[in-house]
Amino acid sequence: MNFKKASHASVIALILGMSFNSLAVEEGDDAPGFLLPAIQEGQPDISMAALEGKTVYVDFWASWCAPCLKSLPLYNEMYHKYKNQGFEIIAINVDNPVEDGLDFLIDTPLDFLIPSDPDGETAELFKVIGMPTSYLVTPKGKVELVHMGFRNGDMEIIEEAIEKVLAAN
Amino acid sequence: MKPFRTLLLVTFSLSLLAACTQVRPWERGLLAREEMAWRTNALEGALNDHIFFSKEASSGGSNAAGGGCGCN
Repeated sequence: MNFKKASHASVIALILGMSFNSLAVEEGDDAPGFLLPAIQEGQPDISMAALEGKTVYVDFWASWCAPCLKSLPLYNEMYHKYKNQGFEIIAINVDNPVEDGLDFLIDTPLDFLIPSDPDGETAELFKVIGMPTSYLVTPKGKVELVHMGFRNGDMEIIEEAIEKVLAAN
Repeated sequence: MKPFRTLLLVTFSLSLLAACTQVRPWERGLLAREEMAWRTNALEGALNDHIFFSKEASSGGSNAAGGGCGCN
């Protein structure tokens, strides 16, 4: 009898524990707001609120994550391709220490906004499950696409989604 | 059933220990360092695996989840 109760309780506890992932930001959700310092000193702080009305691609990256490093120069090209249509990229660096991220940027300069989130507070807010993860946010603040990882062929998927959002707005 | 209840309580309490924490995906930078890899030389690792297999007539158990970006 007690064993039965204990096993029921542990199954419930397990399900509740697994529900952590269900709190992750998903397609259709409102994108969480944030305010982060820029990774480069002397640059202004970066926030989602300041880009209201634009299509924003939020990407979480780190210098120790190989697919992230592969994707960033391609994102730079993508940024230049669509920026005249009201497209912005916010590439949130989660390196701790921050110098690791800055070292990468010395060799690979990027033209979009790069805030720094060394304590992972914004990553926690988005409930990032793996690195890299990116979120395409519509001008109304809704998440249109959640993209995890980065492999060959992903750029086509991402650009298709961006073009769809830009056309609709 | 009292010893069982005690055992269950101890098991759940263990999970509350401060050292038993989950590494968040964005915190895996240290795990991704080369010195944190299970084997730094892939060729040497492959050679060792082959020798182990030929001597033991079995394989596996030489790798485990480690560092990296935790992506798919």
